[in-house]
Amino acid sequence: MNYMPGTASLIDDIDKKHLVLLRDGRTLIGFLRSIDQFANLVFHQTVERIHVGKKFGDIPRGIFIVRGENVVLLGEIDMDKPCDTVLQQVSIEEILEEQRLQQQAKQETEKAKVTALKDRGLSIPKADNLDEY
Amino acid sequence: MFRFQSLDEDCTLEKEEGLVEEEDEIDQFNDDTFGDGAIDDDWQEEHKRLAELEERKNDGLGGLGLGGLGMRGMGGDSSTVQLPPPASRVPHPSSLPPPHHSLSSMPPLGLEEMGGGDLAESLAMLILGADPAIASVGGPAGPGDRSTGLPPPPSMPQQHHHPSQLPSHHQLTLSGLPPGPLHPSLLSYQQHQHLLRRGGAPMPQMNSHNIWENNMGFGPVSVTPGLITQMEDSPLLSIIKEVGLPNRPPPVMSEDGRDLSERAPPPRSSSPVIGSPPVRAVPIGTPPKQPMSHAMNHQQQIHHPTTVHVRAPVHHQHRYPPSFPERISPNTLLNMANSPLCRPPFPAGVGPVLSQIQRAQMLNSQVAGFPRGCQGPPLLPGGGGFRPFFGQPPPHRMGPHHNHIPCPIIRHNTTHLHPQHRRMLTQRMQSRGGERGGRVGDWRSRDPYSNLMTQREKEWVAKIQMMQLQSTDPYLDDYYYQNYFEKMEKRQERDRDGVRKEHTTKLITPQVAKLEHTYRPVQFAGSLGKLTVSSVNNPRKMIDTVVTSRTDDEEKREKQVWNKRRQILYTVEKMYSLLLEVQDFEKRFMQTPEEQREALLEQHKTHTLQLYASLKEKEWDDRVSDEQCLLIMSVRKGKRLISRLIPFLPPLQAATVVMGIARNLTALAKKDKQDQALCWLVEPVAVVISSLSSAALTDLLQELQGSEGQLSKVLQNKFGVTLLYLILSEGERMQSSDLNCQLMDDNRWTELVFSVTRELLNVPPSSLSPPLFTPPNLLSLFSRYVDRQRLELLQEKLQISALSR
Repeated sequence: MNYMPGTASLIDDIDKKHLVLLRDGRTLIGFLRSIDQFANLVFHQTVERIHVGKKFGDIPRGIFIVRGENVVLLGEIDMDKPCDTVLQQVSIEEILEEQRLQQQAKQETEKAKVTALKDRGLSIPKADNLDEY
Repeated sequence: MFRFQSLDEDCTLEKEEGLVEEEDEIDQFNDDTFGDGAIDDDWQEEHKRLAELEERKNDGLGGLGLGGLGMRGMGGDSSTVQLPPPASRVPHPSSLPPPHHSLSSMPPLGLEEMGGGDLAESLAMLILGADPAIASVGGPAGPGDRSTGLPPPPSMPQQHHHPSQLPSHHQLTLSGLPPGPLHPSLLSYQQHQHLLRRGGAPMPQMNSHNIWENNMGFGPVSVTPGLITQMEDSPLLSIIKEVGLPNRPPPVMSEDGRDLSERAPPPRSSSPVIGSPPVRAVPIGTPPKQPMSHAMNHQQQIHHPTTVHVRAPVHHQHRYPPSFPERISPNTLLNMANSPLCRPPFPAGVGPVLSQIQRAQMLNSQVAGFPRGCQGPPLLPGGGGFRPFFGQPPPHRMGPHHNHIPCPIIRHNTTHLHPQHRRMLTQRMQSRGGERGGRVGDWRSRDPYSNLMTQREKEWVAKIQMMQLQSTDPYLDDYYYQNYFEKMEKRQERDRDGVRKEHTTKLITPQVAKLEHTYRPVQFAGSLGKLTVSSVNNPRKMIDTVVTSRTDDEEKREKQVWNKRRQILYTVEKMYSLLLEVQDFEKRFMQTPEEQREALLEQHKTHTLQLYASLKEKEWDDRVSDEQCLLIMSVRKGKRLISRLIPFLPPLQAATVVMGIARNLTALAKKDKQDQALCWLVEPVAVVISSLSSAALTDLLQELQGSEGQLSKVLQNKFGVTLLYLILSEGERMQSSDLNCQLMDDNRWTELVFSVTRELLNVPPSSLSPPLFTPPNLLSLFSRYVDRQRLELLQEKLQISALSR
């Protein structure tokens, strides 16, 4: 039941399994245990899920406290829904390796692009996604 | 969360200063700083328990079995619980039994060693042995005895014989083995129950108190081994092995027993009360304060979730006691709760046991990776289904019962919503209530970590979020919302063709009263300023400006007055400078050499002329303007000026001035009441008078007497009296010296003198002000005109001594 009808509140989501996407791109899955007015979240039995291509790997993380401002989106995981997915779960090492490879590939393409542009006299400034100074 | 040892004196200091209004607010501020639960005593216990759950999960079935882990854990716990520094723990009830120690020293029974047959038995022994409550039943405890210690374990075998006497609705769980102390009342209740059971008496309808008590204080009531044997061995035991018999958290005692030193440091003062509005409202960053003591019983002070105990029912009652409109008796609720659980092996009272098991199973399943669906027997949704989430409709697994509750109890504050909105929401919730509840209920109740966030905390967050919705001007703050619902209403009305007029609901907007918190600084009498205490809400004023608004007329008048005065003063100043020049002429004359004396003389003349001119009126050159004189005389400096000026004036003009003075003496006297500056005029006036002719003198006297009643006023004034005397004495002198005096020629003088004497006689002595001096020849004057009797009277009055003659 809704504590505040007509409003969106996380109170109803407590003790449910959630997936949260953070601003740094991480995906966490865990049971939402506690919230506050800033939407700081306390996750229990958290698992960080790394997706690379069609593979994913879960890294158990334990208890997470997420500051509200870092949340991009948050959604409840429906436990009852059948989980038919094409994604293939792999071990942690494998997925981390995959991730590293992916990052590497991305960097190389980026580098190549920049070099190419530089050769042509153009320079596109790198977009700063993070607001960490 | 850290617990700080707060200083007691700080707390009291706060109280003394009056900064904290109630004791509760101290707690409130504690929570401000340290979060909810800073005063919570049981988090350590809870944490340990939960940690152990994790451990056990990880360890699996290997290693320590239930008993060992449980016991050791419990023992460990108990040791930590019982023997910590007193400052950091709530002192346990005195009934803390020594058997606890004995428990910890009991050899852990390795369950893995047990065979199948005596597994149950040893398990039972373990359980019962660990449960002091059970152990104590065989002891001397009577129903009313609430403070007995716990008798030693050997008495437990008695328990084994009474499996069948469990009343149907009695709650049982796995004995959780309170390493912690048993609350005496709980203990006794258990004893009571066991006794009753033994006696075979049917359990009467239990007091609601006791039920919740039972649940609250210790979820796991002892389970007789008979029951255990009836259970399916493998699942239960596996669970038990894994999960262990959870500890019962020590119930928090009453507040008196609390050690105050474990309080957090005194509240941070976000705003001093002085000079600010009283902080009654809870600041926004405040987590909810845990209710320290419930009205109903003190035992319900376990604030943190007890994962394996049936806590939820109490929670609900704890939180919603008065407002549960359809109060279903706990018994019926239990029945409702237990009905699905009525399976052959278990009497209904085993509900909580199952829930625990199922929780354990859920835990298992969580480890395995979140399998779907429930496992095991259908679950009692939180033992009575009083979880806050679906608390409004209590166990909604119970279809029929659900219908008994027509609409969910809305406890939240919906006053701010548009009524249309609210209607929609209630409809929505009703439709949604049944379908969602069951599923959710199952899953949640299996979760040992559920309700880490207490109901109160949830409400607190909701409250904060609601506060943001409050507004004094909804149209300003939430324009689109208001408009949307208005449009909807209009649309509905249109659709209905305005049949039901009464449906035009008025928009209820929360009226957040604008509290006037103006701080008025206090000012002490005689002090130069106000004592201002500045705060966030009342910043210090640099300049204390007070706006005084005056009307235009007033201002004009004031201005005029001031202008005039300024002008007079200006004139006076100018004349003064001239006068000084004239006065200094002599001196300068002597000093300047011969050649320049001529020039100086000229200058002097000019000055004197100027002086006259200043006194004159514009139109008439030869008359000294009375008005001007008076104006000048109205200023004290002006009086002085005139007195200095008169000697320099030509006699005629001087006489005129004196006449003017005499004429207007009343007015002048009135102005002069305070400082008597007129008296400076006496000397020059005297000089002038002495030079007056008799006619002029008479005139002067006449002027002095002028209008009706003037003389009496004159007499009140010192100068007036003096002037009068001067005149009279002059007259007398004239008469006595010059036989040819014209004074007597006309009767005016005589008449005037007569009137003067009359006045003098009539005037009360008090109002007759003493003159500056009394001319000596007055008596002779009077003797001419009045008879002896009157003369004597006059003499007395005026205190003219005969000697002066």
